[in-house]
Amino acid sequence: MNRVIKLSERFTEAAIDDEIVVMRVDTGEFFSLTGTAATTWRLIDGNRNRDALLAALADEYSTDEAAIAADVDDFLAQLKETGLLADS
Amino acid sequence: MTKTTAELMMEAETLVSYGAVPDRILDDALPDMSWQMSREEFLFRGIGDHLFHYRRGKGITVHRGADADAAHESLWLNGSVYAAIASMNGLLPIHASAVAAGGSVFAFSGPTGSGKSTLVAALGNRGFRLFCDDTLVLDLSDPDRIMCLPGHKRLKLTSEALDLAAVTPQERVSPELDKFYAVPASGEVGVAMALAELIFLEEGPHPSITPLSGSERLMRFQDDHYTAQLFATARQFDRAGMFAHLSNMAQRIKMSRFVRPMDRARFNESVEIAARHVENDAD
Repeated sequence: MNRVIKLSERFTEAAIDDEIVVMRVDTGEFFSLTGTAATTWRLIDGNRNRDALLAALADEYSTDEAAIAADVDDFLAQLKETGLLADS
Repeated sequence: MTKTTAELMMEAETLVSYGAVPDRILDDALPDMSWQMSREEFLFRGIGDHLFHYRRGKGITVHRGADADAAHESLWLNGSVYAAIASMNGLLPIHASAVAAGGSVFAFSGPTGSGKSTLVAALGNRGFRLFCDDTLVLDLSDPDRIMCLPGHKRLKLTSEALDLAAVTPQERVSPELDKFYAVPASGEVGVAMALAELIFLEEGPHPSITPLSGSERLMRFQDDHYTAQLFATARQFDRAGMFAHLSNMAQRIKMSRFVRPMDRARFNESVEIAARHVENDAD
């Protein structure tokens, strides 16, 4: 399965308290990531594929992969749609 | 008391002399009530033949033509010209009025007409000394705390605000403006102090002061006031540079929102909430 990679040339980001704020540099759009979204974003390191990401999140939150798979897939799809993420 | 390096720098850079000035420092002509900025110079044109030219290390030269209105001069010197000089020399002017409490500064920000000056004037009647009116200049050079330069403008209030805040007016600011100078009831602070909190004024039926989240702080620190425009031009920010600045401010400054009704009958209730908040959060 392909690795999930951030399109880092397209955005800049900052951690403020427990939030991550991401801005697309070409459009100026802001995205605020909190809670599990922020954790998922942090775990996207360019080396993990979708399954490895799911395993890392399940480990982080001490839960079953199956219980979070749909939400994680939705979130990854949203990030791809906003132009912040791609599969390698 | 010893002045900070930033205060001494601003004192030196804002020295005024009168003489000849250029009518532009960039290629384009300069219309009334507009400005041009280069790396080393700033030029502001008031109304008509009234120009203010700043050169780094040389202070301000004012050209007051025969048709110029002298009453406006201090407004422009203390407004756009002062904010431009602060911005060009590494300081950050923001659109806020502030009081001092417990040795630090509580600043209230909001659009023109949101009640910043009226609130700090009313807080003066509850014992809080005025720190600044309308523009707060921040020194970001110390990584551990943000210092505020003491206010350089006199308190100005509309006739309605004078009545609301129960402050005695002095002279009218200018014949065209329904604003009067006023002396703050508890006096003013004349020394630099650390910034404790930046509180954004909002209108709503139920008065409350609540902290802003990280992204809210970043978003709220964006401003279209002339002070922000001057700072952005002086720093020559691109989009990523502006984001880095905003996120840095969001990380370093405690910010809250103060929701209160814009209702004369409930003004004292709002002031009381602000006073209690400042008292509780002061050192």
